[in-house]
Amino acid sequence: MADPALKIKRLLLFIAVMVVLLALPALGLPQTWILYFFLFFIYLALANMWNLLGGYCGLLSLCQPAFMGLGGYTLVLFTWTGFPFYMGILGGAFVAVLFSILISPAVFRLRGIYFSIGTLVVPEALRIIFLNWRFVGEQIHGKGAGYMIKELEGLSMTHIYWFAILIGLASVFIVRLILASKIGMGLAAIRDNDEAASTSGINIFNLKLFAFAISACITAIAGAVFFMFQGYISPSVSFSMKWTITMILATVIGGISTEEGPIIGTAIIVFLHFVLARYAGISLVIQGALLIIVMLLAPQGIMGFLRKTRPYQSFLRLTTG
Amino acid sequence: MNDLFIDLASPVIMGILLGGLYTLIALGLSMVFGVMKLINVAHGDLVIFSSYFAYALFTYLGIDPVVSLVIGIPVLFVIGFLIQKFLMARAFRLSLEAPLIIAIGVSLVLENTYQLVFSPMSRGLSSSYSMATFTIGEIYIPVVYVLSFGVGIVVMLALGLFLKRTYLGQAIVAASQDATAAQLMGINTTRIFAFTFGIAAAIAAVAGVFLGLTFPFTPDSGIMFLIIAFGVVILGGLGSIPGTFVGAIILGLAQTLAAQYISASMQMFFLYIIVLVLLALRPRGLFGR
Repeated sequence: MADPALKIKRLLLFIAVMVVLLALPALGLPQTWILYFFLFFIYLALANMWNLLGGYCGLLSLCQPAFMGLGGYTLVLFTWTGFPFYMGILGGAFVAVLFSILISPAVFRLRGIYFSIGTLVVPEALRIIFLNWRFVGEQIHGKGAGYMIKELEGLSMTHIYWFAILIGLASVFIVRLILASKIGMGLAAIRDNDEAASTSGINIFNLKLFAFAISACITAIAGAVFFMFQGYISPSVSFSMKWTITMILATVIGGISTEEGPIIGTAIIVFLHFVLARYAGISLVIQGALLIIVMLLAPQGIMGFLRKTRPYQSFLRLTTG
Repeated sequence: MNDLFIDLASPVIMGILLGGLYTLIALGLSMVFGVMKLINVAHGDLVIFSSYFAYALFTYLGIDPVVSLVIGIPVLFVIGFLIQKFLMARAFRLSLEAPLIIAIGVSLVLENTYQLVFSPMSRGLSSSYSMATFTIGEIYIPVVYVLSFGVGIVVMLALGLFLKRTYLGQAIVAASQDATAAQLMGINTTRIFAFTFGIAAAIAAVAGVFLGLTFPFTPDSGIMFLIIAFGVVILGGLGSIPGTFVGAIILGLAQTLAAQYISASMQMFFLYIIVLVLLALRPRGLFGR
């Protein structure tokens, strides 16, 4: 960052893009466009948080939907009992962080793929609980505890869309902050060789837990905002493995362990959603095939590929001096 | 007193018999796990593949599900062989997480293909004997449970014999103990791995048919049976065939007893909790090395 003028230019560009994005609903664009931008920012937050764990800590977490569901259901609990929605969102984040701390002694004993399978069980178990447990409102027949998300006191879709932008951007900055700090270096050390990291005086458990809790917090908020937009939450949607797949796909396509990867990957995923909107079933088959193909042919994703090319190298030299 | 006994005896017998089915489901996972150190996340979906395959042959051609295994076993063997040869073999060379992510991709493709072809509706294999029961005293026992228990034992013994007595089996054992050493001894480990995956998928074919006879299944049932199989493998210890059998019976018992005494709709929840607690306390299994 040698050139201060370049920095200002970048900042201006960023502000301009943000203003346009925030103003989109006022421009009278079709609702579906807003939907895709909304999805972009929600998926971006999810993918960033998965990348933080999978790409930088070596924790291939499969329990992110648990945090989303907990975020959504805490929001339901708060709004149904008369609390304002923002307390519900913060409450959801709090519950998810608490839950991540609660399961950490169990899942952090597991390494590598054991950790993945251990975390895979978590949302499945939660789904069964929420299918059988109606914690507010009267009992309904036939179970399947879905809830309308109500009492949002005059919140319009535009507001919820703005929340999505906020959480998406927050996730980018949080990852950047963590990686630039000492914590980020510690995490990279753990990922590359945890025994060496441990002997160098890094507290592995605490660092992993820190990243896990941060990811739980942001994922829960993104989940809550998503379910606010949907207006409805059900156990089989909120605790679904499909979320995990979206996060992994966005990260892997864009480039795992890179900061830009999830942004590019998310854009591609949302574009895929847009193109294949009419073919929901086939869309997932294609996404699965894409995941396999990208992993085999370009395991470092688009960013990994770009980094090797000459224009990017010279761009890098230009910008970093 | 007598009622109490029947209350207890029925879930105990059913649980033990269910262990046979769970052995079948877990054997393939255990084998791939033991030989290639890979937890095949798509294993449950391969089992469900066989259930749908038998369902299709039964509904459209009227072939009995058990008889359809004559076609199902080779088909799944080939699928497994190809997955290992063209996807996993390359993934192993890439990174530690690549095989997991590719298995997730395979699982996604399979699951959604079932959904497209067979709709998300719950299906079951309902042949003449799938509903039949017989009684011992006052305890009703479904024929299918006994059948899958018997088949589970037969497959388990056959696999044990195969690994011990045949050249290919010995090569698989050698590759599982030390792949590099096996390679130095002139064993083509790439081929052995493909055979291992194929055999695991072939056992999944048997598992899928008896699963379909015992329980209804949906396109996304795979994950549930993956977790069960994983729990069985963790319980029984890595790569141990008798351990797998014992682990399967323990999980079968836990499920039927939880359904009887705690809550039928929460039975899977208790199984999941057992798997999680096991992972946290004894990740190498109860009988693990």
